[in-house]
Amino acid sequence: MKFKCVGSFVVFCVVLLPFVFSARAVGQNLDPADLVKPPADTWPLYHGDYSGRRHTRLTQIAPRNVGSLALAWAFQTNQGAQIKSSPLLVDGILFFTVPDNVWAVDARSGHQIWHYHRASKGEHIGHRGVAMYKGWLYFTTPDCHLISLDAKDGTVRWDKVFADPTKGYWSTMAPLVVKNHVIAGVSGDFDNLTGYLRSFDPETGAEQWQWDSTPPAGTANSTTGGMTWMTGTYDPDLNLIYWGTGNPTPVLNGASRPGDDEYTCSIVAINPDNGKLAWGFVVSPHDTHDWDAVETPVLVDGDFHGHPRKMLMQSSRNGFFFVLDRTNGKSLLTVPFGPVNWNTGIDAQGRPIPDPKKEPAPDGRLIAPDEGGLTNFRAPSFDPKNGLFIVDAHPSYSIYFAKPADGAYGWAGADYGLWGKGVLEAIDYETGKIRWSHFLGPGGSDAGVLTTDSGLTFTGDSFGNVLALDTRDGKTLWHAGTGDDIESSPIAYELDGREYVMTSSGGVLFAWALPVASREQHQASARKP
Amino acid sequence: MRIRSLSLLATGCVWLAICLNSSTLRAASRPPNQDASGPAQNQPGYKAYAANCAICHGDHLEGDLPSFPPLVGVEHHMNDAQIVAVIQQGKDRMPGFPDLKGEELKDLMSYLRSSTDSAAKPAAGISSSNASNGAIEAGGALFQQSCAFCHGRDAMGGETGPDLTQSKIVHADVDGDKISEVVRNGRPEKKMPAFNFSAPELQNLVAFIHAQAAHAVASKGGRRGVSVEDLQTGNADAGKLYFNGAGTCAQCHSATGDLAGIASRFNGLALEQRMLYPEDVKSKVTVTLSSGKHIAGILDYLDEFTLGMRDESGTYHSWPVERIKYKVLSPVDAHVELFPKYTDADIHNLMAYLQTLR
Repeated sequence: MKFKCVGSFVVFCVVLLPFVFSARAVGQNLDPADLVKPPADTWPLYHGDYSGRRHTRLTQIAPRNVGSLALAWAFQTNQGAQIKSSPLLVDGILFFTVPDNVWAVDARSGHQIWHYHRASKGEHIGHRGVAMYKGWLYFTTPDCHLISLDAKDGTVRWDKVFADPTKGYWSTMAPLVVKNHVIAGVSGDFDNLTGYLRSFDPETGAEQWQWDSTPPAGTANSTTGGMTWMTGTYDPDLNLIYWGTGNPTPVLNGASRPGDDEYTCSIVAINPDNGKLAWGFVVSPHDTHDWDAVETPVLVDGDFHGHPRKMLMQSSRNGFFFVLDRTNGKSLLTVPFGPVNWNTGIDAQGRPIPDPKKEPAPDGRLIAPDEGGLTNFRAPSFDPKNGLFIVDAHPSYSIYFAKPADGAYGWAGADYGLWGKGVLEAIDYETGKIRWSHFLGPGGSDAGVLTTDSGLTFTGDSFGNVLALDTRDGKTLWHAGTGDDIESSPIAYELDGREYVMTSSGGVLFAWALPVASREQHQASARKP
Repeated sequence: MRIRSLSLLATGCVWLAICLNSSTLRAASRPPNQDASGPAQNQPGYKAYAANCAICHGDHLEGDLPSFPPLVGVEHHMNDAQIVAVIQQGKDRMPGFPDLKGEELKDLMSYLRSSTDSAAKPAAGISSSNASNGAIEAGGALFQQSCAFCHGRDAMGGETGPDLTQSKIVHADVDGDKISEVVRNGRPEKKMPAFNFSAPELQNLVAFIHAQAAHAVASKGGRRGVSVEDLQTGNADAGKLYFNGAGTCAQCHSATGDLAGIASRFNGLALEQRMLYPEDVKSKVTVTLSSGKHIAGILDYLDEFTLGMRDESGTYHSWPVERIKYKVLSPVDAHVELFPKYTDADIHNLMAYLQTLR
């Protein structure tokens, strides 16, 4: 009898427990509470969680076994656009995008469940992904529609226009869901337009609030721009969302917009319930080089020189690594993470001081970094164990021109990249010192970064190799050629006890996992005392 | 009205003839003078062309992309000295023809040059002002979706992408021959991706780009881009001093050697970009195999894991890097080392000096 009871218990554990735990999972329904502490079998937000650290707690794939990492499956989108999105994973289904397209794919097998397509006018330069609330997806389009889709089958629930594409706005971003808010941003560099964030009711699509990053176009001696290209982060305790804003317009000619041009090239903290600004920090005062500050505002709680801090870190396109106190926006550290030649120093508030001699000129100015910046939209990662902020950097030089004939509208000048390379930089967040560098090839890599609790750093090089490095020293432990540029940031998740790392290149999605036999060996070795 | 209709019809017939010529009739031996876009075949140079060049570049200079470039309008992007050098020494896979010289070479050159005139005629197709408004409009829509972010909505430059209305490739392009190649293959060295457009889409795109280029030439002021006049603020004497002194340029280059006449071959922004970083320079490599054998050649590919190179015969070899020893010789790196050292005045002075080397 006793044996039988034990046996029943085993049966319960093996057969029934998975159903108990997965009961929540039935029916593509994302509990908003899961967004605050995402379970291991989900990646429910653009960055995986609200912090933007892109660090997974998963440890099955580790330095000792990553050498046997192999392809579990690949998904071909069979179209020309490159994947620049981060998939969401909810209830075993991946949702990802390219402009005009959303796919739902089974995360176990890589087979397509549904595909949504909507042709649109407007810029198709890239798309970062969808957001999810309960059973609904939120998708932005090049012609600035926010579309709510049923996650079950991709049918349209509602469709709201949130900017006028005929004026020069478009959208690329994955919205951010915070409580009962869906927050979306706009893009546009070719017209003097105001950037903004807008919040929508997730059920009805009704507008809740709008925050403008710059005054209305036409305001005297004032800038336009400050586009909200990328997905922000969120601190539930402080109830603040953190967002990076884009460059001012006119872009290369700063004469018509004297001063710091707030809040362009800035990090801003906003109350998600009412859209009110709590604080703003200008990362590039009076930018004239198109250095959007829209790189991830990474939220880290930890010691900074012996004092516990709620920090915000950004490796910015202008070449500087910033650490701020995110409760008030005060600077803790500002230091370049590669060649930078456009500032005369750092001011008392921790902001780089732009050198007027390095503004674009009729006969050209040599500028580091180039317009693409020392880094760009692909995500960095923060590894808490090693205290490293790891970013795909792009040391580079370029020449910038602007003359009166170029005017004061839109681009208003011209710039030309000369040379660049890709380097993964592992930055000590307390000092800004580079602890290790890993060369990623000529030109530059376009891949983002993921770190794991087991001590791995995943990224890609400029040849299209996906790489797994040892986070302690940056040495390569595994790689695979993928045949095209890697234009997205990796994600990780666990399903049925198997850990997957997901990357993309070109129009193909790749799911990497340990071979099953190797996984069993790992479990056996983990059971040993 | 009637005259216009007739001329449209005539244009259509010519276009049809070109299409037929380049597709269905390619395999057959084509009778001369069927192709309206090439120069006349009764010119003296045609004989030399037909005997030496036509097998690859086509009976009528039309080429066969992507392998064999068209030569129509070759004058737009190469000067006579460059064309002669390619003919006599070859280039990439093209063999040299050292026996072509004297009168024969002169006639061939005049034959090649005559293509420019015929290419400029409206009948040459979509590079002409006769491209339909519908094609331009459709091309514009495609351009806005896929190209405008980098090249600007008006094709006059944007984020990272150059002003196409001042592009040498666009100016040399005939019927999309140059533009299509760039769009299809991308320019990986400049981070431009390749695009999978259909042939009609490409035609429309080319029509739009040419329309924008024509519009830019016609309009004054408000131009972006960089003109030769913008790059005349330096002092040539100071530039010469820098070249021979602090700039260390003279360690590799000589004003009377490799750089003699450089300002005749390049000018304006192209010269300045080349001066700061000549991106098409290949590195040399010497590989030592485990057997002790050495193989020298041109470096073709090098990532963390694999080295690929071409030996002196042009044969490609590759190895896992851990199986070999190798030494890369990359003199162009000296340009990278200069970037943090230049002042803007150094660059302007050096530019002034190089512009004296005609």
